[in-house]
Amino acid sequence: MRCLVFGCGYMGKIRAAVLKNHPDVTQVKIYDPYVNPDREPMAPDLLVPSEIPWKDFDAVFVCTPNNVSAKLAIEGLKNCGHVFCEKPPARNYEELCAVREAARARPDHTLVFGFNHRYHPLVQAAKDLVGEGGLGEVLYLRGTYGKSGGKNYRQSWRNQKEISGGGILLDQGIHMLDLFQYFLGPLKLVNSLLQDSFWKCGVEDNVFVLLRSARGAPVFLHSSATLWKHTFTFEIGCEKGYLKANGLLSQTGSYGREQLVIGRRQFEDEALALGNPREEIVYFDRDDSWRLEVNEFLSAVKEKRKATHGTLEEALQVMALIRDIYAIDSNLL
Amino acid sequence: MQSIQTCFNFDLSKVKPLEEVLKYRTFCLEAVRQSCRGGTIRRNHSPVSGARLLSWGTVDGLEYGICPKTGSLFLTEIPAPAAWASLLDKVNRYRNEQAFDVHLKQSRLTSVYEPKKAWIEDTLRWHHLERPKVLEVTTPPSELTALLQTSPLVEEVVVWNETNPRPEGLWPEAADAAILLESLDRSGDPAAFLKRVHESLKPGGLLFLTALLASGFDMKVLGTKNLYLCPPDRTNCFSLNGLTQLLAQSGFTFIEVSTPGILDVEIVRAHCLQDPSIRLSPFETTLLDADPEKLSALQIFLQQSNVSSFARVVAKKN
Repeated sequence: MRCLVFGCGYMGKIRAAVLKNHPDVTQVKIYDPYVNPDREPMAPDLLVPSEIPWKDFDAVFVCTPNNVSAKLAIEGLKNCGHVFCEKPPARNYEELCAVREAARARPDHTLVFGFNHRYHPLVQAAKDLVGEGGLGEVLYLRGTYGKSGGKNYRQSWRNQKEISGGGILLDQGIHMLDLFQYFLGPLKLVNSLLQDSFWKCGVEDNVFVLLRSARGAPVFLHSSATLWKHTFTFEIGCEKGYLKANGLLSQTGSYGREQLVIGRRQFEDEALALGNPREEIVYFDRDDSWRLEVNEFLSAVKEKRKATHGTLEEALQVMALIRDIYAIDSNLL
Repeated sequence: MQSIQTCFNFDLSKVKPLEEVLKYRTFCLEAVRQSCRGGTIRRNHSPVSGARLLSWGTVDGLEYGICPKTGSLFLTEIPAPAAWASLLDKVNRYRNEQAFDVHLKQSRLTSVYEPKKAWIEDTLRWHHLERPKVLEVTTPPSELTALLQTSPLVEEVVVWNETNPRPEGLWPEAADAAILLESLDRSGDPAAFLKRVHESLKPGGLLFLTALLASGFDMKVLGTKNLYLCPPDRTNCFSLNGLTQLLAQSGFTFIEVSTPGILDVEIVRAHCLQDPSIRLSPFETTLLDADPEKLSALQIFLQQSNVSSFARVVAKKN
């Protein structure tokens, strides 16, 4: 398979590196007219900026700033048929609806959106334990995902609304919303609170969201760009126990070691003390999420089937939630 | 690869109190000596590295050698195979009928065996092994067998009496998973034993193994005075390094390597109370005289640093 990666930034480089090691991939090229080949270590893989040779590629990976991702996804669907697009799927719900139209016009397509957190080992392990995995029905979910911002935060395209479409919710919070729906299915918005409290970029730097599942399970998200310690925590309360995910393996290691606490409910007759059950903490030392996600996309293309994660339907659900969150509280920004 | 830390409140008295261990140990040592009277096989070399064993010390007159490359301990004189099988059977019967397995049946079930069942079930789920055929390698009867038979995740549990060279029922390459709860510690030839376990597994099959470690805290501090070091249960006392080397040499890849022990600190403290001749270094004394909160933190540190004496390994057949 011949793959074209749009964008030679952080994500484009990650995807290109994974593709180069995939046995079914025969060629990887990167298209990024904003990169100077003289200063770019991946220069041998860069296409010279000119007309994009769509016919030379079987699949495209869209790893660009948000303002062009929907446009390139639509072009990719029209010209190649197989598109992998990084999150967020678009700047807003309406842009994503245009991608949906392009997908409808190309029935043989494979379209996947990059929500790699689903493939992190702690998420996979947690998913196997809820429901019939022993812990029973999910009673509630609670997630905090945040970063510190940093000295170039205000200059980043991620915080310029014209380019990004939103702030920390669309950047990081979207991952947590996707995980919530992975565990509970489509969610409905109850309430939200957005703030641009510190960075003053005109986009939210803190979001508090209350949601509810179809069966009534409450879900709470705090997405933040003012957590001075990088944080990823995800709690799942179940009928027969609980799971607490903490930390996330990343290239910088700044989110800490990835760990999952597994607790099983014990009452007085089963434990020394009520409210202090046996816990096991599983530490994961390897993140295969990028590789697994790309493998799944390429397998879906090869086998002419729908991908198991990151589908258009899931992307529409999460973007609809984000639309509603912004709609309910946009006046606070 | 993953590792596990356990947070669980139970004390030594609920699973293996020292006074019970003393009685059990007296029985075991006498049974081993009797068994050795019929002739022994000498182990001069480390079953892990092949290096010549160095003298380490004696436990009530029974000699242990140490592997200079891995720090694993091995009983040097082993009774002949037939006598060995009968010894394991005799000791197991005593444990089940007269020792702590009787008096502490319920607390051992909830504190020892049910967590092991949960560990096995969680791992089976994570590896999407549906309705596996499981081989439990043990000296029957085993409390775990009955527990696993009630598991909705397991299709069949076949018990392989570890003293038999071949399992009955699942052989070869027929088991999806094999469980060895400290049985490698009891084997006269652990390398050959693991080879047979490897042969019994399907490609990609899982091995669940627990062992007590020479590299763990209470073993390191107490040495030959550790009352839990006693054959036949501790015929081999691997270091974590020795254990993982042996498994790798036998054709396994690691999924989990942990030392989630809970009792190291309490074991050392109980030994010191029971035997005033035990001398700790001033630093060890400071550590062990700390308040319960700090002792608990020390035990967690031992787990996180893989220097607790209880090892748990999940490995996959290559």
